[in-house]
Amino acid sequence: MRKRIALALLWMPIAAGAQVLAAGSLADMSLEDLANLSVTSVSRRAEPLSQAPAALYVITGEDIRRSGVTSLPEALRLAPNLEVARIDSRQYAISARGFNNAIGNKLLVLIDGRTVYTPLFSGVFWDAQDTLLDDVERIEVISGPGATLWGANAVNGVINVITRSAHETRGTLAEAGAGNKERGISARHGFDLNGGAMRIYAKAFERDNTVRANGAAVPDEWHNAQTGFRGDWGSAARGFTLQGDLYRGSIQQAVGDDTSISGGNLLGRITRELAGGSRVQAQVYYDTTQRDIPGSFSERLNTFDAEAQHSFQATPNQLITWGGGHRRAYDRVTNSAQLAFLPDATTLRWTNVFAQDEVALGSRWRLTLGSKLESNVYTGTEFLPSARLAWKLDEHRLVWTAVSRAVRAPSRIDRDLFAPAQPPFLIAGGPDFRSEVAKVYELGYRAQPAARLSYSVTGFYSQYDHLRSVERAGTAFVLANRMEGRGKGIEAWGTLQVTPAWRLNAGALLLDQDLRFEPGSADTNVAAAGNDPKHQFSLRSSHNLAPKHHLDLMARYVGALPSPAVPAYAALDARYAWQVHRDLELSVTAQNLFDHSHPEFGAAPNRSEIERGVFVRAKWMR
Amino acid sequence: MDALTRRILFLALVALSLPALAQDRAAEVQIKAAFLYKFGEFVQWPPATFARADAPFVIGVMGADDVAAALEQVVAERTVQGRPVVVRRLRRGEALTGLHMLFIGREDSARLAETLAAAKGQPLLTVTESDNAIAHGSVINFVAEDQKVRFDIALPPAERGQLKISSRLLAVARRVISI
Repeated sequence: MRKRIALALLWMPIAAGAQVLAAGSLADMSLEDLANLSVTSVSRRAEPLSQAPAALYVITGEDIRRSGVTSLPEALRLAPNLEVARIDSRQYAISARGFNNAIGNKLLVLIDGRTVYTPLFSGVFWDAQDTLLDDVERIEVISGPGATLWGANAVNGVINVITRSAHETRGTLAEAGAGNKERGISARHGFDLNGGAMRIYAKAFERDNTVRANGAAVPDEWHNAQTGFRGDWGSAARGFTLQGDLYRGSIQQAVGDDTSISGGNLLGRITRELAGGSRVQAQVYYDTTQRDIPGSFSERLNTFDAEAQHSFQATPNQLITWGGGHRRAYDRVTNSAQLAFLPDATTLRWTNVFAQDEVALGSRWRLTLGSKLESNVYTGTEFLPSARLAWKLDEHRLVWTAVSRAVRAPSRIDRDLFAPAQPPFLIAGGPDFRSEVAKVYELGYRAQPAARLSYSVTGFYSQYDHLRSVERAGTAFVLANRMEGRGKGIEAWGTLQVTPAWRLNAGALLLDQDLRFEPGSADTNVAAAGNDPKHQFSLRSSHNLAPKHHLDLMARYVGALPSPAVPAYAALDARYAWQVHRDLELSVTAQNLFDHSHPEFGAAPNRSEIERGVFVRAKWMR
Repeated sequence: MDALTRRILFLALVALSLPALAQDRAAEVQIKAAFLYKFGEFVQWPPATFARADAPFVIGVMGADDVAAALEQVVAERTVQGRPVVVRRLRRGEALTGLHMLFIGREDSARLAETLAAAKGQPLLTVTESDNAIAHGSVINFVAEDQKVRFDIALPPAERGQLKISSRLLAVARRVISI
């Protein structure tokens, strides 16, 4: 068990069986994972990850499919420890533990081990991240720092999207859906190939424009197409994975030609189990992405990444995991006269080594010590240590605590942003911008008081230093680090299996953030750091009305955002699915049933309202 | 045991938060049911064993009602080899015709040998959870190891039944017996 948990804290291999509630979900696990599943861990079923000393929530593939969502950001609403606010047809503000922002920068997002953040602003362009949701095995969401294993940027959270092995996706799937706000088609075919398995997929969708509160259209209609493949050979003990994607999309603009986005990636990974149960994993990938906003900006980013890690049982009580990696990104932007990244072309490099030691102290205590050293071109080497202690009260209760240091290393927007493109500048970069630093203290409790009930409560206190501020330098403004503050809060969630056919999930977030500028700072705009609700609640019901009829409901309440002010809102989503025939499922999904439309982010009156949506879908699979 | 007694017992168990042993057996049953479903995807049957193109995949379960119940849940909305799945609960001595897979619950040697003898040479994947079951001609036998559910695979009876077992399934087995 200990080993599985340690791995859980690394990129990929969590005990997939983790949040198993019934044989039904066990059947979705791979053969290999089933064979590694500990009987006692399944007994404490609702929290298979009940040993992980972190605020970890797993969105299962089944959760995603049953929610009826059509995009990754919408799927992330299922995680009670995330803030997800939709901005318009394609943009989202997503974060954990505050600092939510359209260009949020404290969350690290990976898809099958590939980092998808942009070094332009250390955030994620959500409109360029997609995959076939039917093939997602699970999404691991960790709120809180993960820098020791994942590196700079994993300040307030890590999102890890993991797709199913090609072994698990043999067969053909075809899907078509249409609704009042979007339409989409997708197909996947999986087959045996050279002793392994391969799948190929393609999907395309269009989303309608959003509207303002006064009913005026916001020109943000979006078309997107994506294709990709994944091949897996060998077993968990000796395996090879090759996968890749290609995508292209266009988004309407108010003036001029459509914004176009395109890109692709290719990733290879090998895993080997060596004698004595030690395990080696190595991975390389290439990612290219382009964005062209006619008339204002374009970017072309090429990234190469290689990393490896090795874990082994050093003594019966010590599991050591260590590794390193190197990433290199070539970024070229085309600037406009008003706004420029200077220099327009640059090479960014990150190199890291890390080690973590997990020590069992008797049968009840477990201490995990680790650190990562990561260098970047702007600030040199950053030190990212953490210590975690878990205390197993008994088979059903775990208390854990952690102390971590994480940094958000500078991105191009912090150092290289100038306006206008020629002197005299109004904004003159951030020549002295350094890393933002978080020191985070966490205390968590997880319990399964009965076979059908489990819950997790985490409290955190984060001390932030050197947050981004805007300062005066002569006649110009520069970016500097003179904001500081703290955030504290509680994250809680639980699952109740009311009957074998009916499950309830509930979640709550409470956040209290206090940010200020250091004496002498010229900045006064604290709101630039983020815009967060003080509380957020969700309740989800998954009900098998009859063997072939499923009803899923999700209600959520999001508190008011202070600045710019966004009113509190409650939303109800519902999905009803009917397995008409063994190969055919029909479903209807309705989103935002409580109101005709509501805003989730941004300043009135120009922000988009998120309207009620109804989506009908047919899925054929054999 | 009548329905009312069972219900009271069940409630009592829940109230006492199920003793660990009962829970472990429950988990074991769930895992075995999941495995049985999975086995269907990693073994090839001779085409003639399916009467029609849309004929169901039939799994017989003998002497393990808990596994049968869990398996029924698993396969309710799933297919094996692209076919709907039927779980048939069998009593000892009942004919094995029309089955593609047969799970035999824990049994003593003599009775196990009797049932397995009836399955011999048939295109029928026999799965057991008893010591020595392989010696009596079972293809797959579950074993407990390190709190995990593992299994051994014997190739000769599979070959006699013209069953082809995928290398991936063999790779997961604890032991593969080839003679």
